[in-house]
Parts: sequence; structure tokens; C-alpha cells
Amino acid sequence: MFGFILRRLAVAIPTLLLLIVLSFLLMHAAPGGPFTQERALPPQIIANLNAKYGLDEPLWRQIVNYVWGIVAHFDFGPSFVYPDRTVNQIIAAGFPVTLTYGGIAFVAAVVVGVSLGVTAAIRQNTWVDYLAVGTSIGAQVLPNFVMAPILVLVFTLWLGWLPGGGWGGPIFWIMPVVALSTSFMASIARITRSSMLEVLGSNHIRTARAKGLSESKVILRHALKPALLPVISYLGPAFVTMITGSVVVDIYFSTGGIGRSFVDSALNRDYAVMMGITILVGALTILFSLVVDVLYAWIDPKIRY
Amino acid sequence: MIDTQQMQSLAARMTEAEVKGRSPWADARRRFRRNKAAMISLVVLILVALFAIFGNSIAAWSNEEMDFEVMGNAATMGMPSFANGHYFGTDDLGRDLFSRTVQGTQVSLMVGLIGAGIAVIVGTLYGATAGYVGGRTDAIMMRTVDILLAIPYMFVLILLLVIFGRSMSMLFLGIGLISWLEMSRIVRGQTLSLKNREFIEAARATGVPGWKIIIRHIVPNLLGVVAVYATLLVPLMILSESFISFLGLGVQEPLTSWGALISEGAGTMNYGTLWQLIFPLFFFCITLFAFFFVGDGLRDALDPKDR
Repeated sequence: MFGFILRRLAVAIPTLLLLIVLSFLLMHAAPGGPFTQERALPPQIIANLNAKYGLDEPLWRQIVNYVWGIVAHFDFGPSFVYPDRTVNQIIAAGFPVTLTYGGIAFVAAVVVGVSLGVTAAIRQNTWVDYLAVGTSIGAQVLPNFVMAPILVLVFTLWLGWLPGGGWGGPIFWIMPVVALSTSFMASIARITRSSMLEVLGSNHIRTARAKGLSESKVILRHALKPALLPVISYLGPAFVTMITGSVVVDIYFSTGGIGRSFVDSALNRDYAVMMGITILVGALTILFSLVVDVLYAWIDPKIRY
Repeated sequence: MIDTQQMQSLAARMTEAEVKGRSPWADARRRFRRNKAAMISLVVLILVALFAIFGNSIAAWSNEEMDFEVMGNAATMGMPSFANGHYFGTDDLGRDLFSRTVQGTQVSLMVGLIGAGIAVIVGTLYGATAGYVGGRTDAIMMRTVDILLAIPYMFVLILLLVIFGRSMSMLFLGIGLISWLEMSRIVRGQTLSLKNREFIEAARATGVPGWKIIIRHIVPNLLGVVAVYATLLVPLMILSESFISFLGLGVQEPLTSWGALISEGAGTMNYGTLWQLIFPLFFFCITLFAFFFVGDGLRDALDPKDR
């Protein structure tokens, strides 16, 4: 197991370094520097600014400095547009918010999705099954950026039950969580249902029933574990899509997460902040897929590591 | 969401030895025609395509001119009506929503088809090469794909669009860059199982060069998987583009797309101009629905395993 984790890390670390270097080179290739303004600054000021941010050094030196700053000090450098703020401060302001509703949405999607899928599989061809299948098809064409306006329209404008945006107590969490988790809930329900149906038809379940186990024991002890394997392998891509979806949530509900900072910096051409967030998200993704792989290897006895 | 398990099962089915009698394609056609949801979806797709192609000749207004009588007064005068020629109403600037929707449909469909097209060409060739050559080349090629898949592509795509300027070609390039990765994995898997079949061995024994075996003997046998995957990929590409346009980072005015129209409609829905949201949303939803159903139908027709 330990060797397996080490081998996965051996892939993960170069990937992350590649992502950092790649985004640095992209930024470097951008036409115009961070200090290009409509009114040209005197060359001396430009030179001073470049010296302050270390932009006058050779390219390889800049890359090494940047990578070293991130790896050794977790320091993404200063923002180019707001001289008094560092990228770290901008990320630290938004990240807890994103983590809060993202975490809740993720857990909700997994718990509700799996329960819905299992129920639909056990009661195949009943109204529960049709409801689960129907909503999962519907949710496929209702991505978060369509869900968000519809939720606001119904619950804020028509019913007036929930605040349409902002960040505060749990009442502000409801709509972001629902908007973010619905499509994943549906996908997880669909995957659980089809794999559960397959498992329920397999021989070891027939054996378990034949030796007289109670139905709940058959489902929980013998069927659930193998049925969850496809769900676990779906969690990796789901995490990426969810973190991408948080951008929409931040924009639409003004929750103030890192998605907002990302789009703002994209519109302001604040490359340092964009890179910082991209790298952070990349690192989280890689870490998460590592966790998923380990979990998978741990649950599936067929995998030899 | 594309179910990898089902794709693998499909891949396995497509490489099975053929049984004598009807060809699997004729069988598949028959099964597809019997699938009502898929057939209806196909009709819907054809109608949407006709709407995109011929919609402009029905429209009373062009997508750029503003109706100055309506401008600034969209909530009271811009609603859908046949009397003034705004079949779908107008947007806040008094532009005709019908012709804007036609334009948005054209752009979104184009993005979807081109993105899927790039995925088909690049992914098939890449995956088939990796699978056929095998060994160290295969390991390096597929490890590269693994690494690229671990990068949060939407963020990188936005980074690309901001740095190199927002244009249609950049959008196509960016979406095309990521769309082929999954495709190449699936194609490689199937190539591996095709590689050891007799007809490939025969071709190799008669001295056909490697690239010719890939193009002439492997690729045609991949057609089923590739067709299904491409159909399911089109809506995903449309979703990606709409997502970026919704954030205001996608196509630029005067061009528009479903995502941009939905974003505009969602922004003004408090002012009682719901039609600005509903019409683009309607086309968006039915098209995605139809693509998913056609893709599912194709898969079931080619891989008739009872699910």
C-alpha cells in the first residue's frame, strides 16, 4: 500500500510542477506586461517596477523563484493589480467560503445520490425508480448555471423564502449547495442504480440470499461495497467539475468565494491571482484523485498494488 | 456524464467476432429505429439544425439592428408578438431575440460539432497509435494523457482566453485541446483488443506498413465506439462553451451563444422580461436532451445488452 501511494505521488508531483511552469510560461507569453497602461509610464518607473517584482531577471531565474516560493513558503507572490494585497491574502479571503458550501454540496450529493440510487435499484420499476431516473435525466441538462437563475427566480423572487445572494448564516448556504450539488446527485444516483442492479443479479448475492440472510444484511453487507466502486471512480471527475461550478455559484450568489476572485482577476488581467488560483485548484484536484485512488485500491480486493 | 463502464462494454462488444447473418450495422439500425426516445430526439435535432440554418430567412429583424421603439422599454413593449415581427420578443437593447437565438444556436452547435470533431480526429489517431505501437511509446503517450487530465481544464481554458484574447478560434482551440483526452483512452483500449485479431496479423504478415494498418484496418473497426462517444461529447462541448460564455468570458458581442443569451436573460429576469431567459433556455435544454438520448440510443443499438 505504501509503495502504491509513493508511486502515485511520483506522478502527482511532476504534474503539479508542470502545471506551475506551464501557467508561468503562459503568463510570460501574454502580450503586454502587467504594468502596461493606456498612458505609457516613463521607462525608469517601468524598470523600477520590474526590479521590485523581480521581472528584470532572466526567465529561468523567475521560474525557479516562483516555483521555490510556492513549494517552500506557500507564497504566490503579490497581486499585479492591487499592490497592497498578496495573492495569498486574496485566496485566504475566499477559500473558506468555497470550502464551506463546496464541502456541504459534495457530502450532500454523495449521501443523497447513493441512497436514491440504492432505493431505485431495490424497488426497480416502481415510482421511486421512475422518480430517480427521471430527475437524473432532467438534471443532466440543467447545469449549475441554469439551476442558479431558476432557483433565484422561484425561491427569492416568487416565494421570497431565501436570500438571493450574499454570505452569512446557514440560510445563505441553501441555494449555493442545491445549485452546485443537484447534477452530481443525479449522476451519482444513476451510476449507483445501474451498478447496484448489476451486483444484485450476481451469484454472490444469490448465495447470500440462499443461506437465509435478511434482505437488509444482503444489501448493506454484500451488495453495497461492490456497487460503490463505480461511484468512487466518478468522485474524481465530480470534484473537478464541482470546483469549476463553484465559479458560477460565486458569481451568481455573490458568495465571495475564490471563483469570484478568479473571474475578477481574469477580467482585470491580474495574472498573478489567476495563476495562484489555477495552481491551487490543480493541487487540490491532484490530491483528491490520489485519495480516490487509494480509497479504490482499499475497497476493491481485485486491485493489486 | 459518460459512463465509462458502459463505454467499455460497448468497446468489448464491437470487437467480438462477427456471427454469420445480418451485419451488426443492419441490426443496430433496426434496433435504433425501434427506440422511440432516440428517434424523436433525432427529429428534434434535425428541427434545431433547420432552425439554425434557415431561421434567419424567417426572421423579420436582423440580429444587429435595434428596434428604437422598444429600446429601454423591453418589459412593456418588447414581449413576444407577431404584430411587430419580434416572435421571441426583444432583449434590453431592443434587438430581436428570435434572430439572436438563431445566431446563438448556430454558434453553440458549431462549437459542439467542431469540439467533437477535433476529439474524433486527434483522439482516434492518438489512441490507435498508442495502442497499436504499444510498449514504451504507449506508456509515455498514455501517461501524458493522464497528466493532462489532472489539470483543471476550465481554469486553464479561461487563462488561455484571457492571455491570448477572446476569439472564436481561441475558443475552438481551447475546447479542442481538452476534448480528445478521454476519447484517446477509449480508442486505445479497443485497439489493444483488436491488435491481436487474425486480420491484423494477416495484414502484418503480408507486409503492410504500420501506419497503413492503423488507418485502413484499425480505425474502421473503431467506428461504433467513436460514433457513440462523439454524439455524447457534443452536448458536453456545448455545456463547456455555455459555461464560459455565462461567465462573460466566451464569445464576444455582436456574436452570441446559448450561454451568453441565458446569462443575459438571467440577469434581467427581475424586471419581468422572462422570455429573454425562457427561449434560449428552451433550445439549450431540448438540444442537450436530444443529443444525450440519441447517444444512449446509438449505444444501446450497437450494444444490445439488457440493462
